[in-house]
Amino acid sequence: MGGKRWVKEAGGIWEGSDGASQSRGHEEVSETVKEDIGMKQHWMVRAISKTLTLIPIPFHSSRASFSSPSSSFALKNVTRSNFELSLADLRRHVRDSDFVSIDLEMTGVTSAPWRESFEFDRFDVRYLKVKDSAEKFAVVQFGVCPFRWDSTKQSFIAHPHNFYIFPRQEVGAYDPSYEFLCQTASIDFLAKYQFDFNLCVKEGISYLSRALEDAARLHLHSTHEDELSESPCTTKEIKDVPLVRMADILFVERMRNKISEWHDDLLQIRNRRSSQIPEDSNDSMNQFQTIFFRMRPAIKLNGFTSRQLRLIKSVIQKSFKDLAYIRVNGASCLEQFIVYTNSRRDLELLMKEVKGDLCKEAEMKIGAAIGFRHVIDLLSSEQKLIVGHNCFLDIAHVCRKFVGPLPSNLEEYVTLVQKNFPYIIDTKILLNASNVLQLKMKKSSTSLSKAFAILCPHIASGVSSSGLAPSSVTVEVQVDDMRSSNWNSGAKHEAGYDAFMTGCIFAQSCSHLNIDFSSHSMLMKEEKLQKYINLLYLSWSCGDIVNIKTGGTTTESSAFNTFKIQPTKILFPNIAIIWGFPSKLKAREIKESLCKVFGLTSVTSIYHLDRTAVFVQFNKSELVSDFLELKSRLEKKNDAISVFHPLSELLEGGNTRAASYEVYKEICGSPISKVLFADQAEAVGINLNTKLLENKVQENGSFANSQSPIDTKTADIKQPLKCTSGSSKFPKGEMLDIVSC
Amino acid sequence: MPPFPMLRRRFLCTQTSNLSLFNQKPVGRQWPIKQVTKSNFSDSLHELKNKISDSDFVAVSLQNTGSYSSPWHRLLPFDTAEIAYLKAKYAAERFQILQFSVCPFSVRASNKLTAYPFNFHLFPRDEHKIGMPCYSFSCQPSYLTSMAQEDFDFNVCIYDGISYLSRAQESAAKGQMENPVSSGYVAQSPSSRSVADNVFVERIKSRVGHWISACKHSDTRTNDVLVNSLRKLILGGEDYGLRPSLNIDVCSERQVQLVFEMVKSGYENVVPLIIPAKGGGAQAVRVVLTSSKEDRDLLEKELQNMEEEQSKRVRGFREVIDLISTSRKPVVAHKSLNDFTFIHSKFLAPLPSTMDEFRSSLHSVFPNILDVNHLMKEIGPLNKYTNVPAAISYLKRNFFAPIEIEIPQKASVEESKNHGHNVVRISELFAKLCFILKIAPETETHNPDGPSTLKCYSNVLNLGSNSFQDSNEDDDISAWTHNPTKISINNLLFLWGFRSGTSARRLKNLLCKSHEKLSEDVFDVRLVDKNCAVVVFWKTGLSEWFLTTIDSGDGELRELAAEGLMAVGYEAYKRVCKSEILGADLADSLAEFDREASEAHTEESAEVYWNNELMINLDDL
Repeated sequence: MGGKRWVKEAGGIWEGSDGASQSRGHEEVSETVKEDIGMKQHWMVRAISKTLTLIPIPFHSSRASFSSPSSSFALKNVTRSNFELSLADLRRHVRDSDFVSIDLEMTGVTSAPWRESFEFDRFDVRYLKVKDSAEKFAVVQFGVCPFRWDSTKQSFIAHPHNFYIFPRQEVGAYDPSYEFLCQTASIDFLAKYQFDFNLCVKEGISYLSRALEDAARLHLHSTHEDELSESPCTTKEIKDVPLVRMADILFVERMRNKISEWHDDLLQIRNRRSSQIPEDSNDSMNQFQTIFFRMRPAIKLNGFTSRQLRLIKSVIQKSFKDLAYIRVNGASCLEQFIVYTNSRRDLELLMKEVKGDLCKEAEMKIGAAIGFRHVIDLLSSEQKLIVGHNCFLDIAHVCRKFVGPLPSNLEEYVTLVQKNFPYIIDTKILLNASNVLQLKMKKSSTSLSKAFAILCPHIASGVSSSGLAPSSVTVEVQVDDMRSSNWNSGAKHEAGYDAFMTGCIFAQSCSHLNIDFSSHSMLMKEEKLQKYINLLYLSWSCGDIVNIKTGGTTTESSAFNTFKIQPTKILFPNIAIIWGFPSKLKAREIKESLCKVFGLTSVTSIYHLDRTAVFVQFNKSELVSDFLELKSRLEKKNDAISVFHPLSELLEGGNTRAASYEVYKEICGSPISKVLFADQAEAVGINLNTKLLENKVQENGSFANSQSPIDTKTADIKQPLKCTSGSSKFPKGEMLDIVSC
Repeated sequence: MPPFPMLRRRFLCTQTSNLSLFNQKPVGRQWPIKQVTKSNFSDSLHELKNKISDSDFVAVSLQNTGSYSSPWHRLLPFDTAEIAYLKAKYAAERFQILQFSVCPFSVRASNKLTAYPFNFHLFPRDEHKIGMPCYSFSCQPSYLTSMAQEDFDFNVCIYDGISYLSRAQESAAKGQMENPVSSGYVAQSPSSRSVADNVFVERIKSRVGHWISACKHSDTRTNDVLVNSLRKLILGGEDYGLRPSLNIDVCSERQVQLVFEMVKSGYENVVPLIIPAKGGGAQAVRVVLTSSKEDRDLLEKELQNMEEEQSKRVRGFREVIDLISTSRKPVVAHKSLNDFTFIHSKFLAPLPSTMDEFRSSLHSVFPNILDVNHLMKEIGPLNKYTNVPAAISYLKRNFFAPIEIEIPQKASVEESKNHGHNVVRISELFAKLCFILKIAPETETHNPDGPSTLKCYSNVLNLGSNSFQDSNEDDDISAWTHNPTKISINNLLFLWGFRSGTSARRLKNLLCKSHEKLSEDVFDVRLVDKNCAVVVFWKTGLSEWFLTTIDSGDGELRELAAEGLMAVGYEAYKRVCKSEILGADLADSLAEFDREASEAHTEESAEVYWNNELMINLDDL
């Protein structure tokens, strides 16, 4: 989650038009800084624990006098090499668990600065931003930590696992969806916490989403059927390799002789059972190794070039009716055989067998490629309570990477999540929503490490359970055969450890909410949790919450009676978005010039997306269209009077565009990600214009008649498609047309 | 090939012994290559500068995070030069350079290669918190995996890689760096001042004058801390280094100018500096008092050095690019179009939208680029030898070109691992080719007019060569890859809508059966990817007929249309390549751009060679 948190926290600067969220942002930033400083000593611990995996190291703390030493063995790191074994263990632990906490480390969070979460984002826009993130970035570490309540010990047993994963494509034709984006800042952040990129790329576990698995199987079966229908013997257009070179001709003749020699020998042996030993033939035959292939005599072809093999194949197909040339996947490479068959039927049978084998092999390969998805399937099928910290993005990643493409709207997405993970609880929601927990947290930041330090000081500092407050939940950590009741690997921002912290926070929170772990009801049925279950933050800084069960969305302040300041209601139809204006203009100037035209109170707020674009909230929704119309009128006129118009300052340079909120949504939904919003809008705008053109074409019947801007422009230019950029050349006001149509 | 038959290796040639004589190192040899990261960058830079000026050529080689996003994004045999550029541009804008190896080298006595290979590890870290050089970049997992198999060390790059800013970014960043700037204010002609201006200037003048006299009077060196800090408080000044200074708040560019004018005209020993604001522009002007004219010069020099130091830090790795550029030495590369689109986009400026602009922009920085691939073309059809080691082994098998490699520098082989060896191989390949082509690189470079024989090879950006994706062994469309039949792009069609995975042959049969005009010998089909095929008509006019007939839907190709087959001309393909997102699936992208392309009239008499030898000559501008 590290990369994610980094950007979220740094993103604080953008979050503030109201003071509350701004200060929140700063608080978090300063916390990261603090964490950074504090990390130096953690590195050491982590370095040691990494090298001496599985060997418990007693940690001599100064507190040793009154507490047992905290042990600091490494958590369970899982890579390709130990995945199979670990999976078997994990299955058992998950089955027995009461809940499973998860955490992800990604290669980035936002593909452009303006894709960060804004106050002016509607629910659907927020979803589009999260979707974009889950589609573009890769997950490199996946922390899974099953927690089981041991009633005899009155303690939780946690099994932290840290999976390194890498989107290596193992099967199927090249699929571009495996390509991923890295956000430089997030990668730098991971590096700061000593993330091992080499291990990730070399030893990371690969995976196959359900959708891709289905596609691969479908493809396999269809090709398999094709091959069967093409029946092996209907001369599959034996294209002769043209014998152009003398060497080829000689080679072919030599092969023909050799093979027929072998063939005749074979028949003789069969017929006469003669004692002639095949090995006595000359040594050049050692490339022809006689073996049995599926109970039939065969020659294994060794050491031929691919061209020679092709020649041999054609010789066999032309000259030997009862021999078959077969290629199979050997242990390490392709192996070629010449196989003797009794009859035509036998040949068909053989081909069928071989194809069946190939098919089975491919099936196996697909099965093996599922890789890390087995863990997700396990979590999904066991229907355990999944615990995450601010995990909306994490869940989106899980769905995108392991289930399939994300739907285009929030409602469908919610059903998808619900189907796979019916019980999710977000500790960040829990901490912010419950008054009891708010008091315990002393209104402090609810960032993961802070919450962990405040709620679970006994675990965070490694003090043993003896001198604890009675409400403290003890958590015993088990990694392979090692157990410790006061474990602390200290490896913050490592997915496995973060998952562990999340789980501890949840366990402690439950205890504060007076939930009895020993009662035999399941945690997700627990009445006291019903208020919080399946609620996730769409955007934590704005307090937007989505219910995964119902698909309903609310803001935090209305959902719970919290301490958060209720932000002023944003009316999306009143919002216009303006971009591409002269860079010297700041929000204040823009507001002034708009107020001059529409009245002093007409503009409620102005908000910078980035330095190239602003949201303008008017006090009436009609003003949005009034503004867009006025703008296009002014631009079309372009006479002396319009120069003195109050808006001329805003329109200076001729690149100023404006549109309604819906266009903003469309731009967010585009797969393109330019760093600056104005560039993004222009890049997407080309497509918008295209759509516009399509409409015009339909109206006018044909392109030739249409007065489309492309036509007029291309006529001027010798090379019609050399136009440097799409929309910048089009008459202004184009966007307005789109908006109105 | 014809001009050099005598060098052709013969069976009786005794070059095996020669080879072992000149290449003492085993295959997979390890050269001492200087590995450069953040920590030893500035030292290495100095060293590299000397080596470049001592050498005749500079070879470069890049290690990127990927090369294409989808199979059809690679260079295809039917791509025109413009499209090749657009595809290279697309890749260069998305992927990132992780290693940049530079190897200054000279060839003496026709076969003695002296090389100084350096391998720079890069990472686009945002060192100055200004959101540059790059917000994010793409990675192609298959590419990274194969790099990992060769023991590439990603940690070194990411932890200790050198950052950089491009030339364009540097100038954009100037305003954002929070460091006092002294230069920049050229004394503008004393503009007419308004009353407000005069009031402002007078006010500042009296304040500065008061401050100066106070500073001078208090020369009695009191060591009392309290007195000193009190004085500072009252005068509003602070120390700039060891010199007293005063901050003057300004609220516009105009005021900055006025303060500068006032200081320059009124006070000889005062140096004004601009304190930049966060979002660009000026926040305040700081005036620093110096004791004498000499002291003032000293301060100005100090400031200049500081700025130099600062901008050096900002440029980071780009210093190396600037070094190579200013040396004016010929730059030797392999796959130069790919490499130089990357170099242009990361270290110079965003890539322009057309090939011509790119060419001239690049030419102004690197006037002399030599592509070994292009030299390779001189000695034979080398489509197959797309990578450097394969090309070298091809030359070894077929030619006698002994090259002795000498790398005088010391670097532990352990340290070098597999990093950056390609650049030495490129140098070697270049030397071998010069030997075979009988070019004496030594005399070439000492020629006052620049290398004359090499001249004809320079600045030809080789588009590399790429075989088709589906090189199934039974696909023997030799005419397509070996016969350079020149055909107009108007005779090409893109076809999609067939079932995914249909073979080219089956598609051809389908077309043959559909109409009598489409007999076996008038056209050919190749798959571009699994959902899209390209059809070439050997007769002109047929493609237009095909397009209009299939579009009309009820024409003679009704059956094909009914099966969902769609076709577009080359123009649509061009449009797709120009768009912001090329799209993973060519068929989908074409479908989207289909409508727009329908009116395309190709005045451009562009022609493509129906083979892999695509060249763009940088000199025919």
